Amino acid sequence: MSECILVVDDDREIVKAISILLEGEGFQVLKAYDGLQALDVLSTHSVRLVLIDVMMPKMDGLSALMRIREKQNIPVIVLSAKSEDTDKVLGLSMGADDYVAKPYNPQELAARVKSQLRRYTCLGDIHAGSRIGEIRNGRLLYRTDEKMLYADGEPVKLTAKETGIIDLLMRNPGRVFPAEEIYRRVWEEDAFASENTVMVHIRRIREKLELNPKEPEYLKVVWGIGYKMEKH
Amino acid sequence: MDTKWKNIKNVLSFTVFFLGVSLTLWNTSGLLQRMPNEMSLWTSGELFDNDYQQSWSFQNYISNRLEDFLSIAVNGCPEGWNYYDYYYNVGECTSDAIGEEEVILQRGIEVSEYSNVYEDFEVWEGNDWDGEWYYQWEDGYDDWGDWYDWYNGDIPKEPESMTEEQRQRLEQLEQRKEKIVAKYFAAIEGNLNLLYSISYDGELLYSNFDFPEADGSLQAPEGYNFLLYFDGEKVRIVKDGKEIDIYGDGYYRDDGRDWYVPGYRNFPVSGDMKNAIICMAAAEEPVLYTTGMDRNGGYRQQGNSLYWMRYNSMMEGKLLRWNMLWLAVGLALLFFSCFCRQGIREFAGGIARIQGKIWVECKVLLLLGILYLAIREYFASGYGYNIWWELAYAYDNNIVWAAKELGGMLLSFLGDLSSFWVGLFWVIYFTINDLKHNKKIWSHGVIAKCCRVASAKELKLTLSRRMAHRNAVLFAAIIVSGVVLLAGSASYVNEYRLWRYQGYNIWKIFLLCILVCSCLLLVVYLVSVKNMRAARDLEELSERIREICKGNYSGIYGGGTSEGNYSEPVTGSIDISSQNAAAKAGNIFGGGEAQCSDGTLERDNSGYFSGSELSGTLAQLENIRQGMADAVDEQMKSERMKVELIANVSHDLKTPLTSIISYVQFLKEEEGLPEHIQDYVKILDEKSQRLKNMVQDVFAVSKAASGELPMNMEKLDFGKLLRQTMADMDEEIQNSRVSFRTELPDDPVMIVADGQRMYRVFQNLFQNALKYSLDGSRVYVTLKADGNLAVASVKNTSHMELDEDTNFTERFVRGDRSRTDGGSGLGLSIAQSFTEACGGQFELEFNADLFIVSIFFQIAAESGEES
Repeated sequence: MSECILVVDDDREIVKAISILLEGEGFQVLKAYDGLQALDVLSTHSVRLVLIDVMMPKMDGLSALMRIREKQNIPVIVLSAKSEDTDKVLGLSMGADDYVAKPYNPQELAARVKSQLRRYTCLGDIHAGSRIGEIRNGRLLYRTDEKMLYADGEPVKLTAKETGIIDLLMRNPGRVFPAEEIYRRVWEEDAFASENTVMVHIRRIREKLELNPKEPEYLKVVWGIGYKMEKH
Repeated sequence: MDTKWKNIKNVLSFTVFFLGVSLTLWNTSGLLQRMPNEMSLWTSGELFDNDYQQSWSFQNYISNRLEDFLSIAVNGCPEGWNYYDYYYNVGECTSDAIGEEEVILQRGIEVSEYSNVYEDFEVWEGNDWDGEWYYQWEDGYDDWGDWYDWYNGDIPKEPESMTEEQRQRLEQLEQRKEKIVAKYFAAIEGNLNLLYSISYDGELLYSNFDFPEADGSLQAPEGYNFLLYFDGEKVRIVKDGKEIDIYGDGYYRDDGRDWYVPGYRNFPVSGDMKNAIICMAAAEEPVLYTTGMDRNGGYRQQGNSLYWMRYNSMMEGKLLRWNMLWLAVGLALLFFSCFCRQGIREFAGGIARIQGKIWVECKVLLLLGILYLAIREYFASGYGYNIWWELAYAYDNNIVWAAKELGGMLLSFLGDLSSFWVGLFWVIYFTINDLKHNKKIWSHGVIAKCCRVASAKELKLTLSRRMAHRNAVLFAAIIVSGVVLLAGSASYVNEYRLWRYQGYNIWKIFLLCILVCSCLLLVVYLVSVKNMRAARDLEELSERIREICKGNYSGIYGGGTSEGNYSEPVTGSIDISSQNAAAKAGNIFGGGEAQCSDGTLERDNSGYFSGSELSGTLAQLENIRQGMADAVDEQMKSERMKVELIANVSHDLKTPLTSIISYVQFLKEEEGLPEHIQDYVKILDEKSQRLKNMVQDVFAVSKAASGELPMNMEKLDFGKLLRQTMADMDEEIQNSRVSFRTELPDDPVMIVADGQRMYRVFQNLFQNALKYSLDGSRVYVTLKADGNLAVASVKNTSHMELDEDTNFTERFVRGDRSRTDGGSGLGLSIAQSFTEACGGQFELEFNADLFIVSIFFQIAAESGEES
């Protein structure tokens, strides 16, 4: 499909590494080494996705991101060595679609790029109104009538119990369910030593739908309280 | 049961002690009182033989009678006749009573007094109170002076030279003598307890018994065991058939043992007496003689002195014997009580506890009251009456009389002088007991309570208010003493006036007093003004110290750091280097008002602290504050710098690390590499991952330590957190060679913490346990709610020896120093930092190979909402 991705970083080796990685995935990669260059490239080429570092000479990534957002609505993934939550929140509020901390995991990065592209191309605007029988949450889509979960438009294969958990959580995004409640409602049995069973299932679901199961974005543990589906 | 028995034992012991002491004291006192003056230890046997004739009073009585008889034989009238004259006119029998009273007074015995008084009543009843008796007495008294003058004066011995008047007088005198002698014998002749016969010049003058010829056979009549025979030269006494040697070495000594009769070498028989022969016999057991009085009706006792003497002596002996018996009992009890001193002590302690509850004022009043009563009692008994009598007389109160009658025994018991000593002893004993056991006896009382309340109230006031109160008290004291002084001097002057002391100007004294008082007031005023100022300074000082304690290190008056609380620009003071503290203080406090005229604390314009005694201290405090502010600033700065540095370093580390990880990844994916190159790549991959973890951990721990970690505190179930963490790590646990044993309560244990951070804490702890536990051993995870504290602990057995000196929470410390394993060395450090950042407490201990981490959290209130 040879979609064009712009990679912006002042570290040439990183740009090279990312381009090798993405070209390996079959993308066409454009390179820029500071914010101004990136804006130049964007004005002359048709780019489907931007990967941009924050700390760069001449113009930093966040300023460049603001400039990009003035004209285009293409997905932008911010790549930064600042891994704190506050940095992530700042980046996302500036209009970034995703945030990847350095040092990144190459597979994760590739998965995120693909996810963003798919959502942008296949599903269009994520904020489009959902149809009846559909629950949309970020890159997840759950069809209540057919009890099917789609991640980035791709159907996720789930077992019956996993589907039960997803059904419960997707219908109540943001609400925290204690393990006992999940067990009682999905297994329809009295909860006894439920924590482990529920946790095992949650972990399995995560591996199927999260881009980085170690740092889940959707299916989260609220420590000491329960589990929830994060609302995006 | 045991304590009950012990209590009974204590009570018994104390009772024995109490009775022992009381009886001993009581009876010792009784014995000392009743002991006849002449009695000594070796003659105490007399007390028990019931022989009244042994007593000194009997001796006295007999020698008095002998003296009288001799006088009658020689002069025709008893010795001291003029004395007896009016006395015998008054009433014959009274002489006996008087004589007896003398005897009694000499012996100093109370009990006999009652009987004496009783006897007196009897006598007076026998006589006609209102009639003859009174006038006779009066006559006798009027005449007496004349007779006396005449008798001692110029009475001519030759009848020829007498005037008619003198002759008449002499006749009257003779008549009178006869009358007196007749009355004298009328009073005693019916008293057959004492037999007598008086002869002069071979002629029998008076007698109430026909003695066998006084030939010296010295045979006492039957029923009489005492015989005295005076033959004109010597007195011979036969008692119980044995003659007594009354003269001894022939010299009379007034020591209470020698018979006061003539015949000694230093007390010879006078010339006239040589012709007198007197015989006297005393009954062995005197009886009471009473005669009917025909003229007045009623009865009259004869002079029954001997009877009463014997009666009293017997009573006396009886009482003394009782005293001795009880004294012996008391001493025996005391002796026994020596063996149970423990019980006595404990019981006394118990009493002291009760005493401790009584207000000290009550105790003092009680003590004073008892002492007052006792002392009155003591003096009263010296006068022969006691408090009960006095009460009865004072109030003439039927109730008191009734009480006396009713109380009978008890009251006379209490009225005894002995009770004074016993009472005194117990009062002293209990006072000492109280003082010994109750250390602060003064603190338990109304006054002490008032003082405490007052001082507690005072403490609430500010220092200057307190100082003002004290000054007011001082003022009042001076004014009161001044007034008292004035009043005193006024009364003094008044007295001088009464004595008509001329030329003394009272106004001088008044003026002097007023002047002195005013001077004193003025001085006190000046001093207290200074004190008030110092108090205000102190207040300010404490205010500053409080501010510093609160953490407000910036200068209160803007004299310190540049961003002071006050808007006025600080001119001189902060430029001055801190070495010159004095100059600085001068600037701050002396010239301070220019800079801080808007200060909320009141200050006058003359430089508030410049003249105050505390300026040095304030300057030093200011120095300390400055130093502290600097230190805190410095520390904050360095801490901030450290975090910044670490953040920068970690960022700068991450960028190259990203490249390394990326390219290692590509190398790993490269196919067809030789075997050894693949090994190298594998090592590179592992180490780069580890470096990545380490960089993240270092950043986290440094942020947590500097308190800059953003926390998301919420209420959560500690138990659930542990279960979730273990479930999350289930795979690792299952794959490890150790097993987990958990002991978590089913009920939720709610705490307030950041769940994500605590997850990290336990993740680290469990990873630690998995990594460092002995193969096949168990890891114990427990959670306990202990009061309002939740304690979670992780215990595992280390697979290697734990070094006691190692601080495991130190950053980059691991059990093995070679650092070859995969950890960052920050696990426990992060756990500790995160726990403490969440408000918990992290404790690590190890015992041999047992490694225990305990985490304490305050249990949150159930009702609390998540916040």
